[in-house]
Amino acid sequence: MITKEEVLRIAKIAKLYVKDDEADRLIEDMSTIIDYADAINAIVEDRDVEFDDINNIANAYNEDVVLPSYDRDEILKNREGGENGYFLVRKSLRG
Amino acid sequence: MSKIKKLQKLLESKEITCAELTERYLQNIERQNKTINAYIKVTAEEALETAKKVDEKIAAGEKLMPLEGIPMSLKDNISTKGIETTCCSKMLQGYCPIYDASVWESLKNQNSVLLGKTNMDEFAMGSSCETSIFGVTLNPRNTDYVAGGSSGGAAASVAGDMAVFGIGSDTGGSIRQPASFCGLVGFKPTYGTVSRYGLIAYASSLDQIGPITGSVEDAAIIYDCLSSYDPKDSTSVGSKTGTRDKIKDSIKGMKIGIIQEFFDGINKDVKSSLEEAIRVYQDAGTQIVPFEMPKLNAVLPVYFIISCAEASSNLGRYDGIRYGYTSDAYKDINEMICKNRSEGFGKEVQRRILLGTYALSSGKYDAYYKKAQSLRYSIIRDFKKIFENCDLILTPSVPVTAYKKGQALVDPIEIYMMDICTVPANIAGLPAVSVPCGFDENNLPIGMQLIGNNFEDYKVLNAAYQFEKLTGESFLRPEVEI
Repeated sequence: MITKEEVLRIAKIAKLYVKDDEADRLIEDMSTIIDYADAINAIVEDRDVEFDDINNIANAYNEDVVLPSYDRDEILKNREGGENGYFLVRKSLRG
Repeated sequence: MSKIKKLQKLLESKEITCAELTERYLQNIERQNKTINAYIKVTAEEALETAKKVDEKIAAGEKLMPLEGIPMSLKDNISTKGIETTCCSKMLQGYCPIYDASVWESLKNQNSVLLGKTNMDEFAMGSSCETSIFGVTLNPRNTDYVAGGSSGGAAASVAGDMAVFGIGSDTGGSIRQPASFCGLVGFKPTYGTVSRYGLIAYASSLDQIGPITGSVEDAAIIYDCLSSYDPKDSTSVGSKTGTRDKIKDSIKGMKIGIIQEFFDGINKDVKSSLEEAIRVYQDAGTQIVPFEMPKLNAVLPVYFIISCAEASSNLGRYDGIRYGYTSDAYKDINEMICKNRSEGFGKEVQRRILLGTYALSSGKYDAYYKKAQSLRYSIIRDFKKIFENCDLILTPSVPVTAYKKGQALVDPIEIYMMDICTVPANIAGLPAVSVPCGFDENNLPIGMQLIGNNFEDYKVLNAAYQFEKLTGESFLRPEVEI
């Protein structure tokens, strides 16, 4: 069973707010799923199997050459063009 | 019968122009999409522009490429430059990618006609399109039922004659389950054979792009066009063998494995259809071999831990600063990001991010994530052993047929249990196809799944194609004159 404190701690790490009216339902669902996932800890293995890539491929490296990149103005289009080549966020002040 | 080949013949013999063909599909979308909700965005202008190019090529007497001039749809998690790509999430509403996904680039280079972007569960997290901000997609076979998910829109676009084929993505069954619900062929290729570049990530080690089609031959044609090495995807290996020339090979002597656990507790109509399918294969001279898979009970928890852990990491990029949803008011940067994420993501997505963060958090990592990874490789080894003694594994695609709309399951475990047959192929990166093999008492389609060894996609499609032929294509959708 996961506690409310644990859920709130996790939510903080994940940068999500948990609304008070949704907390109980969320905790209940998460507990059900975590209890279910706990089943894997009952499966005893002779030894830990080492991690490996599914297709046994080694790390893929690119040649260290400069390739054309994306146009800055294109990227900024998703934020109404930005300002002076920067993303613009609203001014925020503490307090 | 391959619809792609049939339509290309009509185009090349000038019985119909590509513009006329495209118009007919667009009209069909206009008529049906309000009810079915397969498309969340229709790209009529772009489609007609491409069709014009194809018609010019035909007029100049040029030969068509395998998918040229074929009207098709793309799931809304596949990036399309300049065309809004939302993953059906409030978080990405208004977002226009600045690059094309490699699969779309390949299709575009072939002059495939993009009709639009299809509905899906938000960030592909769900199995009925009910978590989409655009609402549920209905099953064109019977609109009292859902089309499934998460590639529900892709399947419905094909089943409703609103596209010749749909491109979807499959993390735990998201291509095969809706294909099964809609009576179509849904193919998840071997992990790494089709580039994931530009596919908006849910769980990167499980995600795979693939086609949803009306016939196995069409799936083979599309797979052969899309499977190639892509340096932009670090897990890409490309395909080692083409499938199109091999699907018509004889299956005599092929060994088909059956794992009893997949058949326990499934719907009775699904069971009897599968038993009949096994008889069809036996009569065709294949050998049915029973196997055991003791770790099958670990498959779903392992899938759930790994997929949520990867999702929590992949979805960490959405801060609402550079694109997508942004909240109106905040006091500081932390509140800005938290608000953007909490208001932008839906409940199911948030739940999976939280579960993934939990599984990766200090003190829990070894018990959940590390253990799940270790078991994952045990499961992969078990499959490798099974494939030393057989060519394919036959299972149901889904233990049930399509759900009635509004009656989706509410218990999270019960929902996840429905993925038991499809998830193993994602865990082990194996190729798997769902092919129609019958109907239930309500005349809803039933799907059979064939799983193959890594890079033996051709065997999977070969056996599926022969099943289609052996059953006289009787489970395929009746051909509709478009």
